[in-house]
Amino acid sequence: MTTGQKKKFKLIDLILITLIIALIIYVLYRIRVSIRYEWSWDIIPKYLFRFDDDRGRFVASTITHGFIMTIKLSIWGIILGTLIGVIMGILRVQNGLFGRFLGRIYVDIIRNIPPIVLVFIFYFFFSSQILDNLGFEEAVLRAGPAMQNFVRIIFIDPKLLNEFLSAALSIAIYEGAYITEIVRAGIESIPKGQWEAGHSIGLSRFAQFRHIILPQAFKNVMPPLSGQFISTIKDSAIVSVISVPELSFQGMQVMASTYATFETWIVITILYFVLTFSCSSIFSRLLKKMQSAD
Amino acid sequence: MKEKIIGETIIEVDSVSKTFDRRIKALRDVSLKVKQKEVVVIIGPSGSGKSTLLRCLNGLEETERGSIIIDDTPLDEHHKNRLKIRTEVGMVFQNFNLFPHMTVRDNIRTGPRFVRKEAIDEVDIRTEDLLEKVGITDKIDSFPRQLSGGQQQRVAIARALAMNPLIMLFDEPTSALDPEMVGEVLEVMKTLAHEGMTMVVVTHEMGFAREVGDRIIFMDEGKIVEESSVEDFFENPEKERTKLFLSKILDNGGCE
Ligand SMILES: Nc1ncnc2c1ncn2[C@@H]1O[C@H](COP(=O)(O)OP(=O)(O)OP(=O)(O)O)[C@@H](O)[C@H]1O
Ligand SMILES: [Mg+2]
Repeated sequence: MTTGQKKKFKLIDLILITLIIALIIYVLYRIRVSIRYEWSWDIIPKYLFRFDDDRGRFVASTITHGFIMTIKLSIWGIILGTLIGVIMGILRVQNGLFGRFLGRIYVDIIRNIPPIVLVFIFYFFFSSQILDNLGFEEAVLRAGPAMQNFVRIIFIDPKLLNEFLSAALSIAIYEGAYITEIVRAGIESIPKGQWEAGHSIGLSRFAQFRHIILPQAFKNVMPPLSGQFISTIKDSAIVSVISVPELSFQGMQVMASTYATFETWIVITILYFVLTFSCSSIFSRLLKKMQSAD
Repeated sequence: MKEKIIGETIIEVDSVSKTFDRRIKALRDVSLKVKQKEVVVIIGPSGSGKSTLLRCLNGLEETERGSIIIDDTPLDEHHKNRLKIRTEVGMVFQNFNLFPHMTVRDNIRTGPRFVRKEAIDEVDIRTEDLLEKVGITDKIDSFPRQLSGGQQQRVAIARALAMNPLIMLFDEPTSALDPEMVGEVLEVMKTLAHEGMTMVVVTHEMGFAREVGDRIIFMDEGKIVEESSVEDFFENPEKERTKLFLSKILDNGGCE
Protein backbone atom coordinates (compact mmCIF):
# COMPACT_ATOMS: atom_id res chain seq x y z
CA MET A 1 0.00 0.00 0.00
CA THR A 2 1.30 3.38 -0.90
CA THR A 3 -1.27 5.31 1.09
CA GLY A 4 0.35 6.87 4.08
CA GLN A 5 -2.74 6.18 6.18
CA LYS A 6 -2.49 3.78 9.06
CA LYS A 7 -4.89 0.91 8.79
CA LYS A 8 -7.34 1.06 11.63
CA PHE A 9 -9.41 -1.67 13.11
CA LYS A 10 -12.94 -0.43 12.61
CA LEU A 11 -16.31 -1.49 13.98
CA ILE A 12 -17.15 -3.07 10.62
CA ASP A 13 -14.13 -5.38 10.96
CA LEU A 14 -15.33 -6.50 14.38
CA ILE A 15 -18.81 -7.25 13.04
CA LEU A 16 -17.40 -9.22 10.12
CA ILE A 17 -15.11 -11.30 12.29
CA THR A 18 -17.92 -12.07 14.71
CA LEU A 19 -20.14 -13.16 11.83
CA ILE A 20 -17.50 -15.44 10.36
CA ILE A 21 -16.73 -17.08 13.69
CA ALA A 22 -20.44 -17.56 14.31
CA LEU A 23 -20.83 -19.19 10.91
CA ILE A 24 -17.95 -21.60 11.50
CA ILE A 25 -19.32 -22.57 14.92
CA TYR A 26 -22.74 -23.11 13.41
CA VAL A 27 -21.39 -25.36 10.63
CA LEU A 28 -19.35 -27.41 13.09
CA TYR A 29 -22.37 -27.69 15.33
CA ARG A 30 -24.53 -28.94 12.46
CA ILE A 31 -21.93 -31.51 11.49
CA ARG A 32 -21.63 -32.73 15.05
CA VAL A 33 -25.26 -32.67 16.14
CA SER A 34 -27.42 -33.14 13.06
CA ILE A 35 -25.50 -35.59 10.98
CA ARG A 36 -23.54 -37.01 13.92
CA TYR A 37 -20.34 -36.88 11.95
CA GLU A 38 -17.47 -38.86 13.44
CA TRP A 39 -14.24 -37.06 12.74
CA SER A 40 -11.46 -39.49 12.01
CA TRP A 41 -8.44 -37.42 11.13
CA ASP A 42 -6.17 -40.31 12.02
CA ILE A 43 -6.81 -42.09 8.74
CA ILE A 44 -5.66 -39.16 6.62
CA PRO A 45 -1.85 -39.30 7.11
CA LYS A 46 -1.47 -42.68 5.46
CA TYR A 47 -3.01 -41.27 2.30
CA LEU A 48 -0.39 -38.56 2.30
CA PHE A 49 2.64 -40.70 3.08
CA ARG A 50 2.97 -44.36 3.81
CA PHE A 51 5.84 -46.45 5.04
CA ASP A 52 7.34 -48.58 2.30
CA ASP A 53 8.65 -51.80 3.85
CA ASP A 54 10.72 -52.71 0.81
CA ARG A 55 12.58 -49.46 0.69
CA GLY A 56 12.49 -48.88 4.40
CA ARG A 57 11.36 -45.26 4.21
CA PHE A 58 8.27 -43.12 3.82
CA VAL A 59 6.99 -42.68 0.28
CA ALA A 60 4.27 -40.52 -1.28
CA SER A 61 0.79 -41.94 -1.10
CA THR A 62 -2.53 -41.41 -2.91
CA ILE A 63 -3.17 -37.74 -2.15
CA THR A 64 0.44 -36.68 -2.51
CA HIS A 65 0.60 -38.43 -5.87
CA GLY A 66 -2.45 -36.46 -6.90
CA PHE A 67 -0.85 -33.26 -5.69
CA ILE A 68 2.25 -33.90 -7.81
CA MET A 69 0.08 -34.88 -10.78
CA THR A 70 -1.85 -31.60 -10.49
CA ILE A 71 1.43 -29.70 -10.53
CA LYS A 72 2.62 -31.57 -13.64
CA LEU A 73 -0.68 -31.10 -15.43
CA SER A 74 -0.68 -27.40 -14.58
CA ILE A 75 2.87 -26.90 -15.77
CA TRP A 76 2.15 -28.61 -19.10
CA GLY A 77 -1.17 -26.83 -19.41
CA ILE A 78 0.51 -23.48 -18.78
CA ILE A 79 3.41 -24.11 -21.17
CA LEU A 80 1.24 -25.40 -24.02
CA GLY A 81 -1.61 -22.97 -23.31
CA THR A 82 0.78 -20.04 -23.40
CA LEU A 83 2.26 -21.30 -26.64
CA ILE A 84 -1.18 -21.62 -28.23
CA GLY A 85 -2.37 -18.34 -26.75
CA VAL A 86 0.62 -16.33 -27.92
CA ILE A 87 0.42 -17.72 -31.46
CA MET A 88 -3.34 -17.27 -31.67
CA GLY A 89 -3.20 -13.84 -30.03
CA ILE A 90 -0.67 -12.66 -32.59
CA LEU A 91 -2.77 -14.16 -35.39
CA ARG A 92 -5.74 -12.18 -34.12
CA VAL A 93 -4.00 -8.84 -34.56
CA GLN A 94 -2.49 -9.70 -37.94
CA ASN A 95 -3.55 -8.01 -41.13
CA GLY A 96 -4.08 -11.38 -42.80
CA LEU A 97 -7.75 -12.26 -42.96
CA PHE A 98 -7.35 -16.00 -42.57
CA GLY A 99 -5.21 -15.74 -39.43
CA ARG A 100 -7.68 -13.36 -37.86
CA PHE A 101 -10.57 -15.60 -38.73
CA LEU A 102 -8.83 -18.67 -37.35
CA GLY A 103 -8.00 -16.94 -34.07
CA ARG A 104 -11.51 -15.61 -33.76
CA ILE A 105 -13.17 -18.97 -34.41
CA TYR A 106 -10.90 -20.71 -31.93
CA VAL A 107 -11.65 -18.27 -29.15
CA ASP A 108 -15.37 -18.23 -29.86
CA ILE A 109 -15.71 -21.99 -29.90
CA ILE A 110 -13.68 -22.66 -26.78
CA ARG A 111 -15.29 -19.91 -24.76
CA ASN A 112 -18.78 -21.06 -25.67
CA ILE A 113 -18.62 -24.71 -24.75
CA PRO A 114 -18.41 -26.05 -21.19
CA PRO A 115 -14.86 -27.14 -20.40
CA ILE A 116 -16.07 -30.57 -19.33
CA VAL A 117 -17.40 -31.18 -22.83
CA LEU A 118 -14.06 -30.16 -24.25
CA VAL A 119 -12.29 -32.64 -22.00
CA PHE A 120 -14.58 -35.47 -23.11
CA ILE A 121 -14.36 -34.63 -26.79
CA PHE A 122 -10.64 -34.53 -26.51
CA TYR A 123 -10.39 -37.72 -24.59
CA PHE A 124 -12.62 -39.79 -26.84
CA PHE A 125 -11.54 -38.29 -30.12
CA PHE A 126 -7.95 -37.29 -29.61
CA SER A 127 -6.89 -40.10 -27.33
CA SER A 128 -8.75 -42.99 -28.94
CA GLN A 129 -8.49 -41.91 -32.57
CA ILE A 130 -5.24 -40.05 -32.89
CA LEU A 131 -2.97 -41.01 -30.02
CA ASP A 132 -3.83 -44.69 -30.19
CA ASN A 133 -3.20 -44.80 -33.90
CA LEU A 134 0.06 -42.98 -33.52
CA GLY A 135 1.03 -45.68 -31.05
CA PHE A 136 2.67 -43.31 -28.61
CA GLU A 137 1.84 -45.27 -25.55
CA GLU A 138 2.94 -48.58 -27.02
CA ALA A 139 6.17 -47.10 -28.25
CA VAL A 140 7.00 -45.90 -24.78
CA LEU A 141 5.97 -49.21 -23.22
CA ARG A 142 8.22 -51.05 -25.63
CA ALA A 143 11.11 -48.67 -25.07
CA GLY A 144 13.69 -49.33 -22.41
CA PRO A 145 13.27 -48.59 -18.70
CA ALA A 146 15.27 -45.37 -19.03
CA MET A 147 12.71 -43.96 -21.44
CA GLN A 148 9.84 -45.17 -19.29
CA ASN A 149 11.34 -43.53 -16.26
CA PHE A 150 11.79 -40.30 -18.14
CA VAL A 151 8.14 -40.33 -19.22
CA ARG A 152 7.12 -41.14 -15.66
CA ILE A 153 9.00 -38.15 -14.32
CA ILE A 154 7.88 -35.51 -16.80
CA PHE A 155 4.40 -36.89 -17.54
CA ILE A 156 2.91 -39.94 -15.87
CA ASP A 157 3.12 -43.70 -15.64
CA PRO A 158 3.42 -44.82 -19.29
CA LYS A 159 0.24 -46.90 -18.97
CA LEU A 160 -1.75 -43.70 -18.52
CA LEU A 161 0.16 -41.63 -21.07
CA ASN A 162 -2.75 -41.18 -23.49
CA GLU A 163 -5.03 -39.98 -20.70
CA PHE A 164 -2.40 -37.57 -19.48
CA LEU A 165 -1.66 -36.15 -22.91
CA SER A 166 -5.27 -35.58 -23.79
CA ALA A 167 -5.86 -34.05 -20.36
CA ALA A 168 -2.90 -31.68 -20.66
CA LEU A 169 -3.89 -30.74 -24.19
CA SER A 170 -7.51 -30.06 -23.36
CA ILE A 171 -6.41 -27.87 -20.44
CA ALA A 172 -3.97 -26.09 -22.74
CA ILE A 173 -6.56 -25.53 -25.43
CA TYR A 174 -9.08 -24.29 -22.91
CA GLU A 175 -6.68 -21.88 -21.19
CA GLY A 176 -5.15 -20.98 -24.54
CA ALA A 177 -8.39 -19.31 -25.61
CA TYR A 178 -8.27 -16.97 -22.63
CA ILE A 179 -4.56 -16.36 -23.09
CA THR A 180 -5.26 -15.53 -26.74
CA GLU A 181 -7.57 -12.75 -25.61
CA ILE A 182 -5.06 -11.53 -23.02
CA VAL A 183 -2.33 -11.38 -25.65
CA ARG A 184 -4.60 -9.68 -28.15
CA ALA A 185 -5.69 -7.06 -25.62
CA GLY A 186 -2.07 -6.52 -24.59
CA ILE A 187 -1.00 -5.88 -28.16
CA GLU A 188 -3.98 -3.70 -28.96
CA SER A 189 -3.38 -1.58 -25.88
CA ILE A 190 -0.20 -0.22 -27.46
CA PRO A 191 -1.07 3.06 -29.22
CA LYS A 192 -1.14 3.04 -33.01
CA GLY A 193 1.45 5.80 -32.99
CA GLN A 194 4.05 3.27 -31.86
CA TRP A 195 3.54 1.15 -34.97
CA GLU A 196 3.58 4.29 -37.08
CA ALA A 197 6.81 5.57 -35.57
CA GLY A 198 8.39 2.20 -36.32
CA HIS A 199 7.02 2.29 -39.84
CA SER A 200 8.42 5.76 -40.46
CA ILE A 201 11.97 4.78 -39.52
CA GLY A 202 11.73 1.94 -42.01
CA LEU A 203 11.18 -1.07 -39.75
CA SER A 204 9.38 -3.98 -41.37
CA ARG A 205 6.03 -4.95 -39.92
CA PHE A 206 7.71 -7.85 -38.13
CA ALA A 207 10.50 -5.65 -36.75
CA GLN A 208 7.94 -3.12 -35.53
CA PHE A 209 6.23 -5.94 -33.71
CA ARG A 210 9.38 -7.54 -32.40
CA HIS A 211 11.26 -4.46 -31.21
CA ILE A 212 8.54 -1.98 -30.38
CA ILE A 213 5.18 -3.57 -29.71
CA LEU A 214 6.13 -6.87 -28.10
CA PRO A 215 8.36 -5.50 -25.30
CA GLN A 216 5.65 -3.03 -24.32
CA ALA A 217 2.82 -5.54 -24.65
CA PHE A 218 4.79 -8.02 -22.55
CA LYS A 219 4.60 -5.75 -19.54
CA ASN A 220 0.87 -5.21 -19.99
CA VAL A 221 0.22 -8.89 -20.42
CA MET A 222 2.07 -10.22 -17.39
CA PRO A 223 -0.47 -9.38 -14.64
CA PRO A 224 -3.54 -10.90 -16.35
CA LEU A 225 -1.44 -13.78 -17.61
CA SER A 226 -0.29 -14.74 -14.14
CA GLY A 227 -3.93 -14.67 -13.06
CA GLN A 228 -4.71 -17.07 -15.87
CA PHE A 229 -1.90 -19.38 -14.72
CA ILE A 230 -3.52 -19.57 -11.29
CA SER A 231 -6.83 -20.40 -12.96
CA THR A 232 -5.12 -23.19 -14.86
CA ILE A 233 -4.16 -24.88 -11.60
CA LYS A 234 -7.74 -24.72 -10.40
CA ASP A 235 -9.26 -25.67 -13.75
CA SER A 236 -7.02 -28.73 -14.01
CA ALA A 237 -9.39 -30.48 -11.56
CA ILE A 238 -11.80 -30.97 -14.43
CA VAL A 239 -9.75 -33.76 -16.00
CA SER A 240 -10.66 -35.98 -13.07
CA VAL A 241 -13.64 -36.96 -15.23
CA ILE A 242 -11.33 -38.94 -17.51
CA SER A 243 -9.63 -40.61 -14.56
CA VAL A 244 -6.35 -38.79 -14.63
CA PRO A 245 -5.13 -39.29 -11.07
CA GLU A 246 -4.74 -35.65 -10.15
CA LEU A 247 -5.61 -34.13 -6.79
CA SER A 248 -9.40 -34.07 -7.10
CA PHE A 249 -9.59 -37.53 -8.59
CA GLN A 250 -7.42 -38.92 -5.79
CA GLY A 251 -9.63 -37.11 -3.32
CA MET A 252 -12.65 -38.95 -4.67
CA GLN A 253 -10.79 -42.25 -4.46
CA VAL A 254 -9.83 -41.71 -0.83
CA MET A 255 -13.34 -40.59 0.02
CA ALA A 256 -14.84 -43.66 -1.62
CA SER A 257 -12.65 -46.04 0.34
CA THR A 258 -12.70 -44.26 3.72
CA TYR A 259 -16.00 -42.33 3.82
CA ALA A 260 -14.01 -39.58 5.53
CA THR A 261 -15.68 -36.98 3.34
CA PHE A 262 -14.99 -33.84 5.33
CA GLU A 263 -11.44 -34.68 6.27
CA THR A 264 -10.51 -35.61 2.71
CA TRP A 265 -11.96 -32.51 1.14
CA ILE A 266 -10.55 -30.24 3.79
CA VAL A 267 -7.10 -31.66 3.03
CA ILE A 268 -7.65 -31.36 -0.72
CA THR A 269 -8.82 -27.77 -0.32
CA ILE A 270 -5.77 -26.89 1.73
CA LEU A 271 -3.47 -28.44 -0.85
CA TYR A 272 -5.05 -26.52 -3.74
CA PHE A 273 -4.86 -23.38 -1.68
CA VAL A 274 -1.20 -23.91 -0.84
CA LEU A 275 -0.47 -24.37 -4.53
CA THR A 276 -2.39 -21.39 -5.87
CA PHE A 277 -1.46 -19.11 -3.02
CA SER A 278 2.25 -19.78 -3.28
CA CYS A 279 2.11 -19.33 -7.04
CA SER A 280 0.27 -16.05 -6.79
CA SER A 281 2.74 -14.71 -4.22
CA ILE A 282 5.65 -15.73 -6.45
CA PHE A 283 3.99 -14.04 -9.42
CA SER A 284 3.22 -10.85 -7.57
CA ARG A 285 6.80 -10.67 -6.32
CA LEU A 286 8.07 -11.16 -9.88
CA LEU A 287 5.72 -8.50 -11.20
CA LYS A 288 6.88 -6.05 -8.58
CA LYS A 289 10.48 -6.74 -9.49
CA MET A 290 9.67 -6.21 -13.16
CA GLN A 291 8.03 -2.89 -12.44
CA SER A 292 10.81 -1.58 -10.27
CA ALA A 293 13.40 -2.73 -12.82
CA ASP A 294 12.79 0.34 -14.97
CA MET B 1 21.87 33.66 -44.04
CA LYS B 2 23.26 32.14 -47.19
CA GLU B 3 20.89 31.59 -50.07
CA LYS B 4 20.18 27.96 -50.72
CA ILE B 5 19.84 26.59 -54.20
CA ILE B 6 16.56 24.79 -54.77
CA GLY B 7 17.12 21.58 -56.71
CA GLU B 8 15.20 19.08 -58.80
CA THR B 9 11.70 17.85 -57.99
CA ILE B 10 11.91 15.21 -55.28
CA ILE B 11 8.25 14.76 -54.30
CA GLU B 12 5.62 14.49 -56.98
CA VAL B 13 2.02 14.01 -55.92
CA ASP B 14 -0.40 13.64 -58.80
CA SER B 15 -4.19 13.83 -58.31
CA VAL B 16 -4.26 11.81 -55.14
CA SER B 17 -7.56 11.06 -53.43
CA LYS B 18 -8.23 9.35 -50.15
CA THR B 19 -11.53 8.35 -48.62
CA PHE B 20 -12.01 7.01 -45.11
CA ASP B 21 -14.84 4.65 -44.25
CA ARG B 22 -16.26 4.95 -47.77
CA ARG B 23 -17.59 8.49 -47.23
CA ILE B 24 -15.12 10.80 -45.49
CA LYS B 25 -13.24 12.44 -48.35
CA ALA B 26 -9.99 13.39 -46.66
CA LEU B 27 -8.14 14.21 -49.90
CA ARG B 28 -9.76 15.19 -53.18
CA ASP B 29 -7.56 15.20 -56.21
CA VAL B 30 -4.48 16.70 -54.59
CA SER B 31 -1.43 17.48 -56.72
CA LEU B 32 1.79 18.87 -55.37
CA LYS B 33 5.46 19.12 -56.27
CA VAL B 34 8.28 19.71 -53.85
CA LYS B 35 11.85 20.38 -54.94
CA GLN B 36 15.05 19.40 -53.22
CA LYS B 37 15.94 21.67 -50.30
CA GLU B 38 12.54 23.31 -50.40
CA VAL B 39 10.63 23.99 -47.18
CA VAL B 40 6.90 23.72 -47.79
CA VAL B 41 4.52 24.76 -45.05
CA ILE B 42 0.99 23.37 -45.06
CA ILE B 43 -1.74 25.16 -43.16
CA GLY B 44 -5.49 24.81 -43.04
CA PRO B 45 -8.39 24.27 -40.65
CA SER B 46 -8.85 21.10 -38.63
CA GLY B 47 -9.99 18.16 -40.72
CA SER B 48 -8.81 19.68 -43.98
CA GLY B 49 -6.60 16.69 -44.76
CA LYS B 50 -3.15 18.03 -43.84
CA SER B 51 -2.14 15.01 -41.78
CA THR B 52 -3.61 12.62 -44.31
CA LEU B 53 -1.56 14.17 -47.10
CA LEU B 54 1.61 13.91 -45.03
CA ARG B 55 0.87 10.32 -44.05
CA CYS B 56 0.29 9.36 -47.67
CA LEU B 57 3.78 10.61 -48.49
CA ASN B 58 5.50 7.89 -46.47
CA GLY B 59 2.98 5.16 -47.05
CA LEU B 60 1.26 5.34 -43.67
CA GLU B 61 -2.02 5.68 -45.55
CA GLU B 62 -2.88 3.98 -48.80
CA THR B 63 -4.03 6.26 -51.57
CA GLU B 64 -6.87 5.08 -53.73
CA ARG B 65 -6.33 7.23 -56.80
CA GLY B 66 -3.44 9.16 -58.24
CA SER B 67 0.26 8.57 -57.84
CA ILE B 68 3.09 9.57 -55.56
CA ILE B 69 6.70 9.55 -56.71
CA ILE B 70 9.49 10.23 -54.27
CA ASP B 71 13.09 10.54 -55.40
CA ASP B 72 12.16 8.85 -58.69
CA THR B 73 10.67 5.90 -56.86
CA PRO B 74 6.93 5.36 -57.26
CA LEU B 75 5.05 4.62 -54.06
CA ASP B 76 3.26 1.60 -55.50
CA GLU B 77 2.50 -1.91 -54.41
CA HIS B 78 6.12 -3.04 -54.72
CA HIS B 79 7.46 -3.78 -51.30
CA LYS B 80 10.98 -2.73 -52.24
CA ASN B 81 9.83 0.70 -53.37
CA ARG B 82 7.74 1.25 -50.29
CA LEU B 83 10.62 0.30 -48.03
CA LYS B 84 13.00 2.60 -49.88
CA ILE B 85 10.59 5.50 -49.52
CA ARG B 86 10.00 4.80 -45.86
CA THR B 87 13.69 4.91 -45.13
CA GLU B 88 14.23 8.06 -47.21
CA VAL B 89 11.35 9.98 -45.67
CA GLY B 90 11.56 10.83 -41.98
CA MET B 91 8.48 11.76 -40.01
CA VAL B 92 7.96 13.72 -36.83
CA PHE B 93 4.60 13.37 -35.10
CA GLN B 94 2.52 15.76 -33.07
CA ASN B 95 2.82 13.64 -29.93
CA PHE B 96 6.39 12.48 -30.50
CA ASN B 97 5.65 8.73 -30.47
CA LEU B 98 8.98 7.94 -28.87
CA PHE B 99 9.42 4.32 -27.82
CA PRO B 100 8.79 4.50 -24.07
CA HIS B 101 10.60 1.26 -23.24
CA MET B 102 13.86 2.39 -24.82
CA THR B 103 16.43 4.92 -23.73
CA VAL B 104 17.07 7.97 -25.87
CA ARG B 105 20.08 6.18 -27.35
CA ASP B 106 18.05 3.10 -28.30
CA ASN B 107 15.25 5.21 -29.71
CA ILE B 108 17.71 6.81 -32.08
CA ARG B 109 19.69 3.75 -33.07
CA THR B 110 16.81 1.33 -33.59
CA GLY B 111 16.34 2.37 -37.23
CA PRO B 112 20.01 2.26 -38.28
CA ARG B 113 20.57 -1.02 -36.46
CA PHE B 114 17.57 -3.02 -37.56
CA VAL B 115 16.84 -1.50 -40.95
CA ARG B 116 20.28 -0.56 -42.21
CA LYS B 117 22.07 -3.23 -40.16
CA GLU B 118 24.83 -0.81 -39.34
CA ALA B 119 27.65 -1.66 -36.97
CA ILE B 120 26.90 -0.57 -33.45
CA ASP B 121 29.94 1.64 -32.82
CA GLU B 122 29.31 3.48 -36.05
CA VAL B 123 25.72 4.10 -35.04
CA ASP B 124 26.76 5.21 -31.57
CA ILE B 125 29.01 7.94 -32.93
CA ARG B 126 26.18 9.23 -35.09
CA THR B 127 23.71 9.02 -32.21
CA GLU B 128 25.92 11.29 -30.15
CA ASP B 129 26.38 13.71 -33.04
CA LEU B 130 22.64 13.88 -33.60
CA LEU B 131 21.93 14.50 -29.95
CA GLU B 132 24.46 17.29 -29.97
CA LYS B 133 22.72 18.73 -32.98
CA VAL B 134 19.35 18.80 -31.23
CA GLY B 135 20.97 19.95 -28.00
CA ILE B 136 20.36 17.01 -25.65
CA THR B 137 23.74 15.44 -24.99
CA ASP B 138 23.25 14.79 -21.28
CA LYS B 139 20.09 12.70 -21.63
CA ILE B 140 21.40 9.90 -23.81
CA ASP B 141 20.65 7.19 -21.24
CA SER B 142 17.36 8.65 -20.01
CA PHE B 143 13.97 7.25 -20.84
CA PRO B 144 11.47 9.41 -22.75
CA ARG B 145 9.24 9.93 -19.74
CA GLN B 146 12.13 11.59 -17.91
CA LEU B 147 12.30 14.31 -20.56
CA SER B 148 10.23 17.44 -21.07
CA GLY B 149 7.94 17.65 -24.10
CA GLY B 150 10.36 19.86 -25.98
CA GLN B 151 13.23 17.47 -25.30
CA GLN B 152 11.14 14.51 -26.38
CA GLN B 153 10.28 16.15 -29.66
CA ARG B 154 13.91 16.96 -30.28
CA VAL B 155 14.83 13.33 -29.65
CA ALA B 156 12.09 12.34 -32.10
CA ILE B 157 13.69 14.60 -34.70
CA ALA B 158 17.08 13.02 -34.02
CA ARG B 159 15.51 9.57 -34.35
CA ALA B 160 14.15 10.43 -37.78
CA LEU B 161 17.46 12.01 -38.84
CA ALA B 162 19.37 8.88 -37.82
CA MET B 163 18.16 7.22 -41.01
CA ASN B 164 19.79 9.99 -43.07
CA PRO B 165 16.49 10.85 -44.75
CA LEU B 166 16.25 12.94 -47.92
CA ILE B 167 12.98 14.44 -46.80
CA MET B 168 11.54 15.29 -43.39
CA LEU B 169 7.81 15.47 -42.73
CA PHE B 170 6.56 17.33 -39.67
CA ASP B 171 2.95 17.00 -38.53
CA GLU B 172 2.23 19.87 -36.13
CA PRO B 173 5.46 19.21 -34.24
CA THR B 174 4.91 21.96 -31.69
CA SER B 175 1.18 21.93 -31.05
CA ALA B 176 1.37 19.41 -28.20
CA LEU B 177 4.03 21.45 -26.41
CA ASP B 178 3.85 23.98 -23.61
CA PRO B 179 4.41 27.46 -25.10
CA GLU B 180 7.83 27.87 -23.51
CA MET B 181 9.11 24.77 -25.29
CA VAL B 182 7.93 25.62 -28.77
CA GLY B 183 10.96 27.78 -29.48
CA GLU B 184 13.60 25.11 -28.84
CA VAL B 185 11.94 22.70 -31.29
CA LEU B 186 11.48 25.36 -33.95
CA GLU B 187 15.15 26.28 -33.58
CA VAL B 188 16.19 22.73 -34.45
CA MET B 189 13.84 22.75 -37.43
CA LYS B 190 15.22 26.06 -38.64
CA THR B 191 18.76 24.73 -38.46
CA LEU B 192 17.69 21.76 -40.55
CA ALA B 193 16.07 24.05 -43.09
CA HIS B 194 19.21 26.16 -43.35
CA GLU B 195 21.27 23.04 -43.89
CA GLY B 196 19.19 22.33 -46.95
CA MET B 197 16.89 19.57 -45.75
CA THR B 198 13.79 19.12 -47.87
CA MET B 199 10.90 19.65 -45.47
CA VAL B 200 7.13 19.46 -45.56
CA VAL B 201 5.76 20.99 -42.38
CA VAL B 202 2.20 21.15 -41.16
CA THR B 203 2.20 23.99 -38.67
CA HIS B 204 0.43 27.13 -37.66
CA GLU B 205 3.64 28.76 -36.48
CA MET B 206 3.58 31.67 -38.89
CA GLY B 207 6.89 33.04 -37.62
CA PHE B 208 8.55 29.80 -38.67
CA ALA B 209 6.81 29.88 -42.04
CA ARG B 210 7.97 33.45 -42.70
CA GLU B 211 11.52 32.78 -41.64
CA VAL B 212 12.38 29.51 -43.39
CA GLY B 213 9.38 28.62 -45.54
CA ASP B 214 9.76 28.78 -49.31
CA ARG B 215 6.19 28.02 -50.15
CA ILE B 216 2.90 27.88 -48.30
CA ILE B 217 0.02 25.60 -49.12
CA PHE B 218 -3.42 26.28 -47.78
CA MET B 219 -5.73 23.29 -47.61
CA ASP B 220 -9.45 23.11 -47.00
CA GLU B 221 -11.89 20.20 -47.27
CA GLY B 222 -9.31 17.88 -48.72
CA LYS B 223 -8.17 20.24 -51.46
CA ILE B 224 -5.26 22.57 -51.97
CA VAL B 225 -7.00 25.94 -52.08
CA GLU B 226 -4.03 28.20 -52.46
CA GLU B 227 -0.37 27.71 -53.12
CA SER B 228 2.07 30.58 -53.19
CA SER B 229 5.42 31.90 -52.11
CA VAL B 230 5.65 32.94 -48.49
CA GLU B 231 5.77 36.67 -49.28
CA ASP B 232 2.74 36.58 -51.55
CA PHE B 233 0.83 34.49 -49.11
CA PHE B 234 1.05 36.98 -46.28
CA GLU B 235 1.05 40.20 -48.36
CA ASN B 236 -1.79 39.50 -50.78
CA PRO B 237 -3.59 36.19 -50.42
CA GLU B 238 -5.80 35.52 -53.42
CA LYS B 239 -8.74 33.56 -52.11
CA GLU B 240 -11.34 34.80 -49.65
CA ARG B 241 -11.16 31.50 -47.75
CA THR B 242 -7.44 31.98 -47.18
CA LYS B 243 -7.88 35.56 -45.98
CA LEU B 244 -10.48 34.50 -43.49
CA PHE B 245 -8.31 31.72 -42.12
CA LEU B 246 -5.23 33.93 -42.00
CA SER B 247 -7.02 36.63 -40.06
CA LYS B 248 -8.17 34.01 -37.58
CA ILE B 249 -4.80 32.43 -36.86
CA LEU B 250 -2.93 35.72 -36.90
CA ASP B 251 -5.38 37.05 -34.31
CA ASN B 252 -4.75 34.03 -32.17
CA GLY B 253 -1.07 34.80 -32.17
CA GLY B 254 -0.34 31.91 -34.47
CA CYS B 255 -1.18 29.17 -32.03
CA GLU B 256 -3.69 26.43 -32.57
N1 LIG C 1 -8.07 6.86 -39.74
C1 LIG C 1 -9.15 7.62 -40.08
N2 LIG C 1 -10.36 7.05 -40.14
C2 LIG C 1 -11.44 7.79 -40.48
N3 LIG C 1 -11.40 9.09 -40.76
C3 LIG C 1 -10.22 9.72 -40.72
C4 LIG C 1 -9.02 9.01 -40.36
N4 LIG C 1 -8.01 9.88 -40.39
C5 LIG C 1 -8.53 11.07 -40.77
N5 LIG C 1 -9.85 10.98 -40.96
C6 LIG C 1 -10.74 12.06 -41.40
O1 LIG C 1 -10.19 12.63 -42.55
C7 LIG C 1 -10.34 14.04 -42.53
C8 LIG C 1 -8.97 14.68 -42.65
O2 LIG C 1 -8.25 14.41 -41.48
P1 LIG C 1 -6.80 14.94 -41.19
O3 LIG C 1 -6.34 14.33 -39.94
O4 LIG C 1 -5.97 14.73 -42.40
O5 LIG C 1 -7.03 16.49 -40.99
P2 LIG C 1 -6.02 17.60 -40.48
O6 LIG C 1 -6.05 18.66 -41.48
O7 LIG C 1 -4.71 16.99 -40.17
O8 LIG C 1 -6.71 18.11 -39.16
P3 LIG C 1 -6.07 18.58 -37.77
O9 LIG C 1 -5.65 19.99 -37.96
O10 LIG C 1 -7.20 18.45 -36.80
O11 LIG C 1 -4.93 17.68 -37.47
C9 LIG C 1 -11.07 14.36 -41.26
O12 LIG C 1 -12.45 14.50 -41.56
C10 LIG C 1 -10.84 13.17 -40.38
O13 LIG C 1 -11.91 12.99 -39.51
MG1 LIG D 1 -3.60 16.67 -38.37
